[in-house]
Amino acid sequence: MKTKDIVLIALFTALIVVLSLLPPIPLPLIPVPLTLQTFGVMLAGLILGPARAGLVLLLYVMIALLGLPVLPGGRAGLAVLAGPTAGFLLGMIPGAVVTGWLTLLLSGNDKLKTVASLNNAIEQAPGWQIVRYMLAAIGGGIILVYAIGIPWLALVTKMDLGKACWAMLVFVPGDLLKALIAALVAQRIRRAGML
Amino acid sequence: MLGSLYLPGSTWLHLAPAGVKLLILAFSSTALMWVHSPLLLLLACMLVCLFVRCAGASVQQVWLQLRPLVWFLLALGGLSAWSQGILQALEMVLRLFTLVLAALVVSMTTPLTQMMQVVIWLLGPFERLGWINAEKVALGFGLTLRLIPELGVQWQDIREAQLARGLTPSPLTMGVPMLLRTLRRADEIAEAIDARG
Repeated sequence: MKTKDIVLIALFTALIVVLSLLPPIPLPLIPVPLTLQTFGVMLAGLILGPARAGLVLLLYVMIALLGLPVLPGGRAGLAVLAGPTAGFLLGMIPGAVVTGWLTLLLSGNDKLKTVASLNNAIEQAPGWQIVRYMLAAIGGGIILVYAIGIPWLALVTKMDLGKACWAMLVFVPGDLLKALIAALVAQRIRRAGML
Repeated sequence: MLGSLYLPGSTWLHLAPAGVKLLILAFSSTALMWVHSPLLLLLACMLVCLFVRCAGASVQQVWLQLRPLVWFLLALGGLSAWSQGILQALEMVLRLFTLVLAALVVSMTTPLTQMMQVVIWLLGPFERLGWINAEKVALGFGLTLRLIPELGVQWQDIREAQLARGLTPSPLTMGVPMLLRTLRRADEIAEAIDARG
């Protein structure tokens, strides 16, 4: 691991902290305000790839558990692990890894060559890149995080799994919006030649 | 911008070794999962409240940490009382509250450096296996703490620049310049670190 990798990991961890501490954005039509924490998770996965994104989230969670107020609302400490939403926090670690892995897989420069040569013209269109990025962000940043967070919530609160799913449904529109924006941002970063 | 949860003090809770506190916390938290009697849970809760008192925390400081959770617990308790009965709801709320408070006591009485030492000790076996390098972990940790305020300022800068140009900042318009600057910065910082060796 080169120095630059460590610097990038530290920078993205700091970025997620800053995004988490920003006041939530209220949105029309969506009942819950948007926190940007998971937006940072998606960006880390899309831009850094699986290994480094996983380390970013590992570092972030570690800093939070050690007691620095880096979670939304300035919460921190081991108390978070005992709380009902701990699954969503811990789920972000594999979530970032899967986002990074899906990004590699879907935009696969080598792996999907047969498909790529077939629609080479479409390949170049930025629209497809955005769709791929968005799918990666949804797969890792939403589906996987929920897949760990919801059963955890149900277990801790002894709530019915189905009911827990329904309760979390209010967050889905906001998360989808974040995935779209993260995909747009990642595509522009790529166009700027930084990826 | 960032202060840890730690409250300086010299009570017996502060003086106890960090590793021991964390171990006791882990064990008692696990044990509490199997306690179902509301009376016993209430007793445990009162005991933990006593610890909070011993740690010398003010009500205000504790409330600041618990506030987001309390609303969540109330909503959850209501839902649970409606679907599973009052007793079940009481048990769940009491248990969660106790667990959170107990963890808070450890966080408030253990300084960050001691916590880091426990982490490094936990990482020890992995280092001996050659999987990780504790020095690099420490570098990443330190860099992050240093960079949080920097990136906060950077975010404000970009926001103000966009407002000055009559744009309404949104996650999309903020995200791109924020990341471009961050990625460019990574090169500079890495070069500086390597140059110093």
